[in-house]
Amino acid sequence: MESSVGFEPKIVAFLCNWCTYTGADLAGVSRIQYPSNVRPIRVMCSGSVDPMYILKALLDGADGVLIGGCHGGDCHYVNGNYKARRRIAVLREVLDELGIGSERVWFRFISASEGALFADTVKEMVDSLKSLGPNPTKAMWIT
Amino acid sequence: MTPAMNNLVMPVGEEGKAKALSGFLARLLELGVVDSMVLPVMTVPGIMTYLMARDPELIREKAEPFAAVMPVNAGSPVARTVSKKPRGRIGALLKPCEVRALVELVKLKQASPDNLLIIGIDCTGTVDRNEYKKAYPDTSHLDLREACKVCLNPSPPDTAFPGINIGHIGLDDEDALLVSLSTGLDPGVAAVVEELGFESDGSLADRRRSAIAALREERDCAHREFFLNSRAEQNGGGIESIARLLAACTGCRNCRVACPVCYCRECIFDGDVFDYETRQLLRRADRKGGIKIPGDTLLYHLTRMNHMSLSCVACGMCQDACPENINLFSLFARVADRTQSLLEYVPGRSQEDALPFTTFREDELEPR
Ligand code: SF4
Ligand code: SF4
Ligand code: FES
Repeated sequence: MESSVGFEPKIVAFLCNWCTYTGADLAGVSRIQYPSNVRPIRVMCSGSVDPMYILKALLDGADGVLIGGCHGGDCHYVNGNYKARRRIAVLREVLDELGIGSERVWFRFISASEGALFADTVKEMVDSLKSLGPNPTKAMWIT
Repeated sequence: MTPAMNNLVMPVGEEGKAKALSGFLARLLELGVVDSMVLPVMTVPGIMTYLMARDPELIREKAEPFAAVMPVNAGSPVARTVSKKPRGRIGALLKPCEVRALVELVKLKQASPDNLLIIGIDCTGTVDRNEYKKAYPDTSHLDLREACKVCLNPSPPDTAFPGINIGHIGLDDEDALLVSLSTGLDPGVAAVVEELGFESDGSLADRRRSAIAALREERDCAHREFFLNSRAEQNGGGIESIARLLAACTGCRNCRVACPVCYCRECIFDGDVFDYETRQLLRRADRKGGIKIPGDTLLYHLTRMNHMSLSCVACGMCQDACPENINLFSLFARVADRTQSLLEYVPGRSQEDALPFTTFREDELEPR
């Protein structure tokens, strides 16, 4: 098991092409400093992220999963983000009921122009995951 | 709100309730109300199955409408009989959890409701089918299945289908069964049933209603206790405790096949996605020191919960199907209870309630 001292959480981020992914890109081009713990995966819409992919990352040892979508009303596919919100809320209930806990799953609406918000979100998430400690699934082979 | 129902009383003669009800179902087939009738029968002594009958005599002879066994949740095989928009109409005698599963499948567009005449029947519980087989014909001492002991829906929902409900809870001492015709019932069907000359009577319906309320109250306590015990069994152990509870899973997928509302025609877990390359497996095993094979046990169960728990009708068939005797019902029922209350969804209640994942409200579930 990794020790929590000097622990750098790994975050798998599913980012919507039309908003958060571009926002993350903007953070980069604008040279806003943020921790390099994120492994971004570009998706066409937050609504296309099946909970299975979030679970897979968590069970494979990711310390956190960030899903980034467009703000309400701005989804390129009309309402994918609202549907994602339902799916992720259900995922949280599943994780909480089984005592796994849902603190490692973050869903944020971040637009293409909100580079700074993306950077702040990542910072905040890294801090929060550091205090949670490493995901126990990292060392579990019976998953 | 309960819609107005036309409550009729089916008299029961010396031959008993099962024969009276079988006769009624055979009549419906004979009179052309349905083109066939699906109902539980005893195939060989001790073994129940469902029969799709064309011959009314077969119904009179073989039907076991009150047998307290559930070979499958018939909601899903019945859905499959009308999945391809057939002509004509299939009748089916179904238990409450089967009716509710069928409603979910209708909403998932896997059954065409216009081709169905659903005859729901009260159910006070069923016993394990293997124990039943062993003990037959002396089955009265058998314990109810876990799911049935805590079932809060012993009567079929009035709002599910424009059909017929057969009531018997609270009417054990009566030589009669209650036949309720729902308001939306096809007038042609209603006319045929009314022709049979059953008297109309509200008092039996009242008696049944209060007996159901009493049963629900009793079960409600058992239900709460069951959930508490199941949580206690996990003992706050987090993901490790869930992994331990599911450790015996061989990945046979019987639970998924038995589940009436696991709706995908092709399961993602059967496809290429999980057909890993050796190097992928090695990479994962490297990270963790090793991996269980066949693997993805938690991923499979948790994904299933995410996909279908909103429609879970708490029938317990998943647990019956598991060769490893894993306590799947308590896990799935607990999760379903949570997800259903989050989105205020009651599976199987009505075809009008939209499936929660097909809809949304702009102002809900915040903060995310
Ligand atoms: S998960 Fe189990 S209890 Fe729920 S509907 Fe499926 S088979 Fe029935
Ligand atoms: S039936 Fe039992 S062993 Fe088979 S996949 Fe389901 S939980 Fe695993
Ligand atoms: S397109 Fe960005 S969330 Fe749907």
